[in-house]
Amino acid sequence: MPRVLTIEDDTVTAREIVAELTRRGLAVDWADNGRVGFERARDGDYDAITLDRMLPELDGLVLVTRLREAGVQTPVLMISALSDVDERVRGLRAGGDDYLTKPFSPDEMAARVEVLLRRHARTERDTMLRVADLELDLIGRIARRGGVALELLPTEFRLLEFLVRQVGQVVTRTMIFEAVWGYHFDPGTNVIEVHIGRLRKKIDAPGAAPLIRTVRGSGYVLEAG
Amino acid sequence: MSLKPADLWRTNSSRLLLIFGALFALWCAALIGVIQWNTTRYLSNIVDLKLDNLQRYFTTLDRERLREAIKATEAFDLRDVLSHGVFDRNGKLLMGNLASIPPELPLDGAVHLLTDGVQRTSGYHAQRARGIAVYLTSGELLVLVRDTSVIDAVGAIIWRAMLFGLPLIVVPGLIGALLLSRGPRRRVQAIEAAVQPIMRGDLRRRLPVSGHGDELDLLAGIVNTMLVEIERLMGEVKGVCDNIAHDLRTPLTRLRAQLHRLQLETPADDTRAALIERTIGDADALLDRFRALLRISELEDMHRRAGFAEVDLVATLKHVREIYAPLAEDKQIEFALETPTKVPAVRGDPHLVFEALSNLVDNAIKFTPPQGTVRVHTTLDANGPRIDVIDNGPGIRACDRGAVVQRFYRGGTQPAEHGQGLGLAIVAAIVKLHSFGLEIGEGDGAGAKVSLMCWPPVDKAA
Repeated sequence: MPRVLTIEDDTVTAREIVAELTRRGLAVDWADNGRVGFERARDGDYDAITLDRMLPELDGLVLVTRLREAGVQTPVLMISALSDVDERVRGLRAGGDDYLTKPFSPDEMAARVEVLLRRHARTERDTMLRVADLELDLIGRIARRGGVALELLPTEFRLLEFLVRQVGQVVTRTMIFEAVWGYHFDPGTNVIEVHIGRLRKKIDAPGAAPLIRTVRGSGYVLEAG
Repeated sequence: MSLKPADLWRTNSSRLLLIFGALFALWCAALIGVIQWNTTRYLSNIVDLKLDNLQRYFTTLDRERLREAIKATEAFDLRDVLSHGVFDRNGKLLMGNLASIPPELPLDGAVHLLTDGVQRTSGYHAQRARGIAVYLTSGELLVLVRDTSVIDAVGAIIWRAMLFGLPLIVVPGLIGALLLSRGPRRRVQAIEAAVQPIMRGDLRRRLPVSGHGDELDLLAGIVNTMLVEIERLMGEVKGVCDNIAHDLRTPLTRLRAQLHRLQLETPADDTRAALIERTIGDADALLDRFRALLRISELEDMHRRAGFAEVDLVATLKHVREIYAPLAEDKQIEFALETPTKVPAVRGDPHLVFEALSNLVDNAIKFTPPQGTVRVHTTLDANGPRIDVIDNGPGIRACDRGAVVQRFYRGGTQPAEHGQGLGLAIVAAIVKLHSFGLEIGEGDGAGAKVSLMCWPPVDKAA
C-alpha cells in the first residue's frame, strides 16, 4: 500500500485530506508542524508528500528545499494558501513536484497525489501502454484499439497518453490542461470537454465500450473496462 | 524626447528671463530718454540765455554801434551758428545776414524753436534753430537766431548709444534664456519619465531630486512624500485584502472538503443527495469566482514578475489555435490565424500571455453565432507586435467598451450563463502587469475587435 505523509497545521483540513486519501486506499501519516514533518519525510519511506506552504516551526518552502538537499526525492504536492502566480514558480523551483492552491476540492487533491504516486512508481521508461484493448506505442506515437490504428493528432495522443497513465483515476480539467498543454489556469469547462469529445469519437468505434467517462463535477476517468 | 528650441522658449526660466530682459531694455530706453531730454533742455536753456543776453546787449546800442557789434559777433561766430538781422517796420532788412523774418517766429521778445530753419542772405539755412525777435526803441525789429546743431548732435549721440546698447542687452539675454532653460527643461523631462511608471501603477517609483534645493526639488519632494503615503495606504489596504483572502482560503477548503465527505456518506438514493450535489456545485462556482478574483488581485500587484521571459508570440498563438480551433469547429465557426512567420519576441510571462490570448479567443468564440468567423490577426506596428482578435458576433457597444474590463461586468445583451464576467478583467490585469495596451473596437460587421498591443500604452492625457 503506498504511503503518504500529510504535513498540514490546520486540523480540519488535515483530517479531510487524510480521510480522502485513506478512502482511496493509501496509508496516510500526518504531521502538524514543519519540523516534525521534515524529520518524518526525511526518515520515513514515503511514496508521496502533501505539504502545506505555511507551517509553524519550519516553512514549507524551506522544508522541501532541505529535503532535496538531503537527497530525498519523494514527490511533493505543495498546498498553499498563498497567492498562486509567483508562489507556484517559487514552490516548483524549490523542489515541489506539483502545486495546489487553497481552496481546493478533495477530489483534485487526491487525483494529484495519485498522479505523483504513479509517476514515482515508473522506475523505467515505458515504451508501450495498454488498457483493455487500447495500445499506445510511445516510441512510434501510434495508438491502436482492438489492433486498429487510430488517427490521432499529436495533442490528442498526448491527452490519451495522460488519461491512460492515470487509468481508473479521476483527473480534473485543470490537471489535463496542465499535463497536456502545460498551462496552469482553469480554461473553463468547454475547451477540455470539446477535446475529450473529439478523442472519444476517434477511440470509441461504434458499438465499442466507451473508454473515457465523465465524472460529473470532478473531471474524467479512463476506465480499464 | 529631444530638446526643441520652441519647447525651450516655453520654460518658466526662459519666460522670466525674456520678461526681465524686455523690462530691462525698456528701463534702459526710458533712462536714456530722460538723459537725452534733460541734456537737450539744459543745452537749450544755455542757448536761450545766450540769445537773451545778446538781445539785451544789442537793444542798448544805437544804430552805428549796433552795426559794429553785429559785425564783431559775426567775426567771432567761427562755427556759423548765429543768424541776425534788423528789419524796418515793413520787414525790410536793414543789416545782418537774415534775408527775412522767420515766419514761424512770434515777435514777442521770447525765445522760440524754429524747426524749419531760416532764410539767410547767403541762402537757406535748414538747421533747426532757436530765435528771438525784439523791437528796438527806434521801432525796428531785431531778430537773433542761433541754430541748435550742437544740441541735436548731443541728442543724436545719446540715441545712437541706446541703439547700439540695446542689442548688447537683448542678444546676451536671449542666449542666456536659452542656456538657462535647458537645465530645468531636462529635469522636467526626467520627472516626466519617472512619472510614467507611477501613472501605470508602480507606486514604488519616486521623482528624481537634484539636491539643489530649488523649486523643482521642493515640488518633487512633496510629490515623493505623497507617494510614500499613498504606497503605505495602498499596502495597508492590500495587506487587509491579502489577510482576508488568506483567512478565507482555509475555511473554504474545509467547507468544500466537508461537503465532499457529506456527499460520500450520503447514499445515492437519499433525498438529500441531490441537494448536496447542488450545494457542492454552488460551492465550486463560489470557489472558482474567489480564485479568479484573487488571481486578478495578484496580477494587479505590479511586483509579481517572477515568470518573465522572452515570449514567442507566433508559437503562443499557434498553441491557442490548437486548443481553441476544435471549440470553434464544434460551433461551426470559422477560425483563422493570420500572423507573419516571424514576430519579434516580447518580454513577458509566457503563461499569462497565453492566458490573456486564450481568454480573448474564448470570448470571441463564445459570443459569435454559428457560421460566424473569428480571426486572430497579428501585425507589426512600429512600436511592437499588435494582435487583433476580430469576430462578427454582436460586438461590444461603444458605451460598454470601457466597462467590459471591469470585474463582474457583462454586456446587457449577454445571457447569464456566459461565464463569471471576469475573463476580460483577467486580461486587463495581465495587460497591465506587462505594461501592454488593450483596445476594444468594432470588428467585422457589427462584431467586436479586441486588440492587444505589446508595448507600453501612451497616456492620452499627456
